[in-house]
Amino acid sequence: MIRRRLDDIACVFLIHLARLRAEAGPFVLAAFVFPLGMYFFAGAVAGSSSPPAEASANHLRFLAGSIVFSMSLTAISWLGYLLLENRFTGRLKLFSTLPLAPSSYVLGILLFSLSHATLGTAALLLIARASGVAVPLHSAAGFGLLAVTIVLTMLCVSGVAVIIAARARSFTEGSLLTDALGAGLVLLAPVYYGPDVLPRALQLISRLLPTTYAARSVQATLSGRLGVGQDLLILSLMAAASLSAGFRLMKWRED
Amino acid sequence: MLDPAVRVRNLVKRYADGTEASRGIDLDVRRGEILAIVGANGAGKTTFLRQLTTELRPTSGAITIFGIDAVSAPGRAKRLMGVSPQEAGLFETLGVRRHLELFARLKGLPRRAAGAAARELVIALGLATEAERRISGLSGGQRRRILIGLALLGRPPLLVLDEPTTGLDPAGRRLVWGLLKRARGEGASIIFSTHYMEEAEGLGDRVGVISAGRLTALGTVAELTARLSSASGSLEDVYFELAGGCFIDLEPAAK
Repeated sequence: MIRRRLDDIACVFLIHLARLRAEAGPFVLAAFVFPLGMYFFAGAVAGSSSPPAEASANHLRFLAGSIVFSMSLTAISWLGYLLLENRFTGRLKLFSTLPLAPSSYVLGILLFSLSHATLGTAALLLIARASGVAVPLHSAAGFGLLAVTIVLTMLCVSGVAVIIAARARSFTEGSLLTDALGAGLVLLAPVYYGPDVLPRALQLISRLLPTTYAARSVQATLSGRLGVGQDLLILSLMAAASLSAGFRLMKWRED
Repeated sequence: MLDPAVRVRNLVKRYADGTEASRGIDLDVRRGEILAIVGANGAGKTTFLRQLTTELRPTSGAITIFGIDAVSAPGRAKRLMGVSPQEAGLFETLGVRRHLELFARLKGLPRRAAGAAARELVIALGLATEAERRISGLSGGQRRRILIGLALLGRPPLLVLDEPTTGLDPAGRRLVWGLLKRARGEGASIIFSTHYMEEAEGLGDRVGVISAGRLTALGTVAELTARLSSASGSLEDVYFELAGGCFIDLEPAAK
């Protein structure tokens, strides 16, 4: 039974992986090009007159922000688009008429989404290091915490993509929402800057966004700090909430 | 006595807006039988078939598939079915053989058996020269054949096909008819909808006419034409006479 379930998940993953391999352009844009552009843009806005210690901290913050931006764009905008396409072009019917559990479909999609995040994060870290950014991430514990942060963040934002794809009334409505949320979750949260520069209303809103805690945790682990337990706990709760809603809404049978 | 392949009793589907798409349908499909369903556009054929395939929950009534309650245990019922929906999309970036292989695995075939089934079906579908070609490069008719192939994977004992030959050229239709006859020869029961009277006549052991959500006639072509008021006696005449008419109860025992 478990083996069958794992094989189902692997098949859903492989079916979508073929899309990634065949149409790498949008993925590269979402995972590397836009986040990298934002990284350099944030660096340019910050200027080069800061003391070295502050400049180094800024670069780590921008790198963390770009990693979160990459996750948000790939999981919500790109993955959300694929899920909407599956639903509104009738591909989902191929799954819904099979003896396949809806949860296996969602888990296959999540696995696909985690593979994006791994590729995107690794590429951004390599590019940052090649550009001379000092990333004091050396310990196995630090890498482990970064990995946990990425997994939890991706579960959170992929859950949001699943909810949109399941509930959208049309392809246009869904894709507008995924585009708006993919970028919006990053722009409304203190991802590229500290929370203190946000207006009070946005500070309150940002406390509800997973990207706030993801950015804080990624930045801390990249800086070599390990005290991210509270952020991971909040991300876990948010991931549980968005995924349980996604699992509940993803049904094969219409009423 | 063995249960019929499909048993439908007093099937009603009422949508939220009050439209009644199925109005008390009673029907048995015998084991090893091919049943053709005809009816005008919007008569309720697809709604009826989608309830059989468990995609759509009936408002009331009973459906059993080889004795399994398809309303309360859709997952178990789906294991016995191969389904070709009227409008379903394929995964464009997959190759033909790979598409069939991955869906064979999703139907529960072990990896090696799935590979063998895909290779065999590619030939049976007349797509041997396209086996490694991406779906995106295929014609509409070739895609339709793959949808039929997906239903045939794993040799399910029941095939439910919604307008399986729509969009096929004459050669493609004959190929599909041959595949369905072969499946029946191997013991499968088949229920399919069609707008082609010659297809219903040539392929179906019995023909059912659905009109305004009701099954208005059911029987062999000879039985149906014998009840006609005119002497010309073609299935098309039956269709026109019964499109808005009352039910000719040819088989009260089956009810």
